[in-house]
Amino acid sequence: MTVTLLHLALPLGSVLNSFSDAVDFILHPQAAQTGGTEVGGVGYIWPFVRTHLEVSGLALAGSLVVSLPIGLWLGHRGRGELFAVALGNAGRAVPELAVIAFLAAFIGVGLQNVTIALMVLGIPPILTNTFVAVRQVDPDAVQAATGMGMRGPQVLARVELPLAASTIMSGVRTAAINIVATATIAPLAGVSTLGELILGRDVYGSDGVLAGAILVALLALIVELTLAGLQRLVTPRGLILQRASAGA
Amino acid sequence: MAVLTAKFPELVAAGLPQNFFHNRKNPDCVQSNGAFCVGWAVDNFHTYVGPALKQATMVSVSVAAGFAIAMALALLSHRYGKLVPPLTGFTGILYTVPSLAFFALLIPITGFGTETAVIALSAYTLQIIYRNIVTGLANVPAGAKDAGRGMGMSSRQLLWRVELPLAVPEIIAGLRVATVSTVALATLAFFAGAGGLGEKIYTQLNFKTNIILAGGLAMLMAIVFDGLLVGLGRAVTPWRRHRAPPILEALRRLRRSV
Amino acid sequence: MEASNSADAAAEALPVAFRRVTKRYPGASRPALLGLDLEVPSGEICVFVGPSGSGKTTAMRMVNRMVEISEGDILVGGRSVRDRTPAQLRREIGYVIQQIGLFPHRTVLDNIATVPRLLGWDRERTRARADELMELVRIDPELRDRYPPQLSGGQQQRVGVARALAANPMVMLMDEPFGAVDPINRERLQNEFLRLQAEVRKTILFVTHDIDEAIKMGDRIAVLREGGRLAQYATPAELLMAPADDFVEDFVGADRALKRLSLMRVADIDLWQAPLAHVGQATSEVRAKLPGAEVPHALVIDAERRPLGWLSDADLLGETVPPRPDTRPDPVLELDDVMRDALSDLLQAETRYAPVVDADGRIAGVLSVEIISEFLTSPEALTEEHDAAGRPLV
Repeated sequence: MTVTLLHLALPLGSVLNSFSDAVDFILHPQAAQTGGTEVGGVGYIWPFVRTHLEVSGLALAGSLVVSLPIGLWLGHRGRGELFAVALGNAGRAVPELAVIAFLAAFIGVGLQNVTIALMVLGIPPILTNTFVAVRQVDPDAVQAATGMGMRGPQVLARVELPLAASTIMSGVRTAAINIVATATIAPLAGVSTLGELILGRDVYGSDGVLAGAILVALLALIVELTLAGLQRLVTPRGLILQRASAGA
Repeated sequence: MAVLTAKFPELVAAGLPQNFFHNRKNPDCVQSNGAFCVGWAVDNFHTYVGPALKQATMVSVSVAAGFAIAMALALLSHRYGKLVPPLTGFTGILYTVPSLAFFALLIPITGFGTETAVIALSAYTLQIIYRNIVTGLANVPAGAKDAGRGMGMSSRQLLWRVELPLAVPEIIAGLRVATVSTVALATLAFFAGAGGLGEKIYTQLNFKTNIILAGGLAMLMAIVFDGLLVGLGRAVTPWRRHRAPPILEALRRLRRSV
Repeated sequence: MEASNSADAAAEALPVAFRRVTKRYPGASRPALLGLDLEVPSGEICVFVGPSGSGKTTAMRMVNRMVEISEGDILVGGRSVRDRTPAQLRREIGYVIQQIGLFPHRTVLDNIATVPRLLGWDRERTRARADELMELVRIDPELRDRYPPQLSGGQQQRVGVARALAANPMVMLMDEPFGAVDPINRERLQNEFLRLQAEVRKTILFVTHDIDEAIKMGDRIAVLREGGRLAQYATPAELLMAPADDFVEDFVGADRALKRLSLMRVADIDLWQAPLAHVGQATSEVRAKLPGAEVPHALVIDAERRPLGWLSDADLLGETVPPRPDTRPDPVLELDDVMRDALSDLLQAETRYAPVVDADGRIAGVLSVEIISEFLTSPEALTEEHDAAGRPLV
């Protein structure tokens, strides 16, 4: 505890110094710690960013493709509740490092396999949330729709889906955060995401590590905010008003 | 429970039966990096205990600290409702930053070691616990609050004798999610220099048995903590024992926890 | 235990006085309550009744400062409610609300013990008091360790009342306490509560939107109109007989009551009995019959038991009952009369009591406005109705 206090008492200047060095690393190429090669600079770092986005995007897309149909169908039918609940809980308990390492060891390294590993983390929140979202749809609305003559898939598409969209998006957001976060340790399985910088202290020095961390954090925040905005877009206006007036 | 059922298909698919039927002490298993070398696991199990305990300690401290802070924030929000949106946003941002990055960002300030890990892990718990406490307090029946105040309870008495006790189920739900997530995240604490099961995984990254053992222990830890909290929740809420939660109630709780 | 008899209990109850009480909410164009001025004698039930927006609940909640007074003052037992902190004040006032508001996380016993614990009573005393109250409100003492969700609606209601009575408050506030219950159980709860009140005799301020409930429960009724103004403050009988204005008349629903009366006959009701006197009887005998009689006046009848008139005080001063009493017996009603007409006759003649005779003109009993109003709010009114031709309805 005292150690923490001491650390905090260190002049703020030294901290700011580290951060400015990191920013410098991002912007300008410099010599590697190990000497020889040049590292740093936007051109050097950009491929990491791109890979990070690529593998995250692929994994998220894959998770959606798998989870949405299952979640929607189960929710619509009202079955498999225990499964959905258990999956949600289990998904939260899975340590990212173990998943990456496990799949790397059992299936091998490379983009494809890392994507699968990330999907393991992305599927549970989307599936569970989709299931819950559909189940939570006001049963009166569903009854009214059926009473007007809509068939199963129509009810799903025109009534349940729009009303469930917001909660589903919550799940997508959670999945996205999990995926982007775990993509950071993808280098352990041979995929060079931004984690490369953070894990390579020997090569990139503390500046590089910090640079990597800043970029990852920014990336995550951008993804989160984008999806939050998307969620707002997708939520039917009526529901926003309803929830606001209920003080939810 | 569900976790074990999740794991088994993977193990079977990875060719487990062959290795199981080998001689326990078969060195070939280790050499060929078989799916799960029971012999090796049994012999080296003791090396996992230390890191596991370290991880458990970190988790406990982090969740406790996170709970304390979140409770303070929630009580403040209870008094000053306007604080809820900014605090929700703030705790949300903390949650969004990936753990590895969080550790790396803290290292210049707090250095390597357990403190860094604990600070980051506590920060992650804030969002869910804070949200759940606030929601729990908001869901206290209005009639009970009106009656309590009308009978002469001061605001503080109302809070501690009526509102908080009735918010406990919601709070426990949040603690459960926070704890389980923290156990998983703490596996990465090694990267902040704090040890834990992540260290075991990382130091023998390709050895399958190691991964299964370390990862499995982590998940087991999560289950145990979860179970303890469920027990705590039941012990502290004797009035809920007398009704089976309807499906919709369980669903509602699930919804709030995701 | 100490079953407090009425005299003791009345000593505990305190009168409540509203002194030109006004409540204005910021931003509202009209006050919620305007210049309310009335006195509730100790040990009586005063019902605040009116449409929504009439400020009746606001008025009640100002007594325990759940709503703060804008202008004016409220005195409980002569002491302003602003004299103490709200919390202190409320611990001395019983509070029952429509949603009941039992604490679901506390047992029945703990719920009832809420205020005693706030006041620092010791365990034994609290426990004994809780048991006493459970008996009083007719809850099985076995239920003391149960939790509210395990109780029925009616049981929860009773626990709510017991909880309000726990610290023996001097005043009770009840806001639509039976509103959340179905009409049949409400009836039962109302009757039980009246029985309870007869024993404990608290000063009670009772809010309802239901005029029938007001008439049934209230010793006095305060009718409030929109804008929070007092329209009339009177006993139920006065309210029925002499509504102050059109609003009150409409609210009391005179036509509704009358309509029911058209469907009834005088014979359908239990009549009161007056002490009877024969011409030439010694007045001392008659005087002896008066105390405790349902009708506090003696009716003179002839040999055929036909009413001749009412004995006035002056008459009673004489030695014997005169053949022509001071007060005529009119209006004389008949058992076959339609109730509506009977009431009409009573009101027109401005008398309180009217003798009722059978087909032969012989005295059968006495009818009064009170009987009719009581009857209208009682269960029997739902049965035993005959149409105008004498055929029973149902």
